Amino acid sequence: MIRKLRGAGGYAFLTIWTLFSLFPLYFMAVSATNTSQAVLSSRLLPGLELFNNAAKLFAAQNVGAAMLSSFAIAVGTTILALIVTSIAGYAFEVYHSRGKDVLMGVLLLAMMIPFAATMIPLFQMFAKIGMVNSLFAVIIPAISTPLLILLFRQSTRSFPSELVEAARMDGLGELAIFARIYVPTMRATFAAAGVITFLTAWNNFLWPRVILIKNDVQTMPMLISNLSAGYVTDYGVLMLAVLFASLPTMIVFFVLQRQFANGITGAIK
Amino acid sequence: MKRITKIAVSAVALAMPVALVLSGCSSDGGNGGGGDNGDDNTLTVWAWDPNFNIYAMKEAEKIYQKDHPDFKLDIVETPWDDLQTKLTTLAQSQSFGELPDIFLTQNNAFQKNVINYPDLFSGLGDSGIDFSEFPKAVADYSTVDGVNYGVPFDSGTAIGAYRTDVLAEAGYTVADFTDITWDDFLTKAKDVLAKTGKPLLSGQAGSSDMIMMMLQSAGASLFDNDGNPTIADNAALEQAISTYTELVKSGVFVEVNSWDEYIGTFVNGSVAGTINGVWIVGSIQSAADQSGNWAVTNLPKLDGVPGATNYSANGGSSWAVSSNANVELAEDFLKSTFAGSTELYDTILPKAGAVANWIPAGGSSVYAQPSDFFGGQAIFADVVKFGASVPSNNTGVYYYEARDAVSAAITKIIGGADPKDALAEAQSTVEFAMG
Amino acid sequence: MDRRLNLTGWGFLLPAALLIVIVSFVPMIQAFILSLQTGRGTRLTFADPLWYNYQRLLGDEIFKQTLLNTFIYLIIQVPIMLVLAMILASLLNNPRLKWKGFWRTAIFLPAAVSLVSYSLVFRTMFANDGFVNDAIGIFGVEPVNWLGEPNTARFVLILGLLWRWTGYNMIFFLAGLQNIDSSTIEAARIDGANAWQTFWRVTVPQLRPIIVLTAIMSTNGTLQLFDESWNLTKGGPAYASMTMSHYLYEISFQRNPNFGYGAALSYVILILVAILAFIQLKVGDKRD
Repeated sequence: MIRKLRGAGGYAFLTIWTLFSLFPLYFMAVSATNTSQAVLSSRLLPGLELFNNAAKLFAAQNVGAAMLSSFAIAVGTTILALIVTSIAGYAFEVYHSRGKDVLMGVLLLAMMIPFAATMIPLFQMFAKIGMVNSLFAVIIPAISTPLLILLFRQSTRSFPSELVEAARMDGLGELAIFARIYVPTMRATFAAAGVITFLTAWNNFLWPRVILIKNDVQTMPMLISNLSAGYVTDYGVLMLAVLFASLPTMIVFFVLQRQFANGITGAIK
Repeated sequence: MKRITKIAVSAVALAMPVALVLSGCSSDGGNGGGGDNGDDNTLTVWAWDPNFNIYAMKEAEKIYQKDHPDFKLDIVETPWDDLQTKLTTLAQSQSFGELPDIFLTQNNAFQKNVINYPDLFSGLGDSGIDFSEFPKAVADYSTVDGVNYGVPFDSGTAIGAYRTDVLAEAGYTVADFTDITWDDFLTKAKDVLAKTGKPLLSGQAGSSDMIMMMLQSAGASLFDNDGNPTIADNAALEQAISTYTELVKSGVFVEVNSWDEYIGTFVNGSVAGTINGVWIVGSIQSAADQSGNWAVTNLPKLDGVPGATNYSANGGSSWAVSSNANVELAEDFLKSTFAGSTELYDTILPKAGAVANWIPAGGSSVYAQPSDFFGGQAIFADVVKFGASVPSNNTGVYYYEARDAVSAAITKIIGGADPKDALAEAQSTVEFAMG
Repeated sequence: MDRRLNLTGWGFLLPAALLIVIVSFVPMIQAFILSLQTGRGTRLTFADPLWYNYQRLLGDEIFKQTLLNTFIYLIIQVPIMLVLAMILASLLNNPRLKWKGFWRTAIFLPAAVSLVSYSLVFRTMFANDGFVNDAIGIFGVEPVNWLGEPNTARFVLILGLLWRWTGYNMIFFLAGLQNIDSSTIEAARIDGANAWQTFWRVTVPQLRPIIVLTAIMSTNGTLQLFDESWNLTKGGPAYASMTMSHYLYEISFQRNPNFGYGAALSYVILILVAILAFIQLKVGDKRD
């Protein structure tokens, strides 16, 4: 009896938190199908305005281009970040030395630097080499993050070193060991790192809106902020755009969630 | 082995489109901005509202194209906050090459940007634009040391807009709210509230728009002519704040949290009027079901303040020509459109409610056309008349600091703090920021 | 280790390290030099005394307010979030739980929504005539001016942070729990401890490394909090919900740009994060 009650309490708590989690998302989705007036008077039932809102949104904004930029930035950042940080995390563990430990500590300090402080010097840097408006200027600062290096380093602890030894015996080069043995084994870690990077890159707002000046390279978060910047805001259209901007990240998580969870598990053993 | 091939293939498949997009975008990455893109007939413009200033720019483009068929505009939609951030970043990193040819600037921020970053702007002294065709109060926003840096675009002339049906329910007409003082307004608005349950005004909590409009209506400001803050011991400000507090406490002014909610209060009919810059008309008209039930008049004036008038302004913006511009083309374009085309203003007025600052435009017949939404009133002709009577406003370099400090003081005063203390604190906050 | 292998190792981590140095450390050094300078816009000169901007912070009432706000968020939000994340994780870790995938997805999903988006959604929901006021109205509660009063504005911001980040942290705890030997929990049960006691006395101590990790990440995130303050409350009313990073942004970009002063503020944030991270690491170690 007691055990049953405890179970019921657990389910109740999960239910409450799930409702709390999902409600704003429901609100977002429902509002996308309503008129601006209906959103402002907090209508919670689906409406018939979805196609109208979509027509208005696509007429006012180049959603396709923004999705493409966001996608290019997110995918580009993810691929490059995975390559650069995985090999670094691997190296910190497999070729462990005291010097490298010190370096890791120093790199971790970079996590604590507030972005607003480095923005002007960074902009100067990219302006000097003519990379304003280039999507690479958005990608480069996001490639190497201490958190991902740490994630890979910690995960590598569970990677059996005998495998490395054996491969060396077989005459494999160091890079080949990494690419052919480490990478396939650590898929879960790559999935976890990939999800984190993709979400962060897709949602990044402050830096892209400074460095991307032209409209044809604007990202989804910038597009959303444009929509709410005029004298008159259409909330139905805005919520539809918010929904568009949120779907890709939700899908990525949805598809990769099992590997994501496993990857984090491997990292904090 | 198979798995690696699969991973490699999918990585390449993913990377291909990315690489294509990236290379496509970076090929011309170096010259994103203005006049240096090699095309002598294209101007790049930054502005922020597709239904308003961007729309107006597009109409101006069409008009200029009649005489210059090769002319083109490349308009970049940039919210004002972002635009300000970009101006600062570009100036600070000396990357003037990324500036557009023309950018829109809030009138209140004009002085600050010109004085801090003169390198961003081209002076319009030799442009041939006749600035005497704009009201002095408006041209003053973008004039520094006698040099004009901006072509005024939309008028921020303040209006009082009220629901005639609600007023009638309480036994009033719009005439009862014309040329009155705030004391009269309070008496009547309380009566309307009691009889109909509807407050007449609303606004964002923590915003000082209303106070600033009251101040300007009396020709007062937060700075003296030398630019020193005059927040403490400012009779007009104290009167404005005590009026505002009374409005809020009596319930005739509803404070809401955000801009969207403010718009919502009169669009959904819970508030029966509003006082703001004339550009608010666009939002009022979005409530199609209230057509025919609105009227526009001037503002109440402050009691017991010397120089008080029934006229004021809020917002408004001006076009600036950047230091990176194709100056000749940009100046000629602005001169032939925003400072020279009645046709332009005749087009953008009914469509976007963009009321001209350019005085010759006000004589056009389009301005005399009655508006059905406003019960047949020719509101824009009236607004142009109001505009001529608006006192000048001394914004100065530290306008935003002072406005924020006053906003904070108002929040505290409404929360029960002593007005004198709160304003003295605001004064020292601004002095600190200037230090 | 073999010299060749050691060098290979350095080679492998060079790209990552170099990138971090270029995009973080070099700008930060430039920012430090900037923090010793004073002046508006581009007319900067070295301050006299050099630490003038730091001295100035001590007299800045708005800075003190934003420091206080940031610490309120830190002290209230971070512990609540971590405890909630731990409880949710241990519920999800129960092998007898049904629909595990559904719960996990639903709870994590907010972390996939962009900060701009969710701030807009929360702002609409907590509007004066918004959904929340309509909902509490059903129970006869007077409407609350959520974003208009200092404490309720902070409350909404904290609620938003909890919504956005609890699921994210839960994933870390879930991962940690899977590495815990379930026999220790069974043993406690057999000894007669109830679920609550087992959770606090057996599970939590074993999660200590994860707690330290998530605490450091959250502290860091909170001290650098910007998007929510900027999008959700605009820092208002009267600076009551403005964070330090938001103020830094205001100083640098929205007001008369004072980059020297802004840079000094950024160093204060950096030092605070470093000190707190150090304390958390020490506390995390001590209980060993």
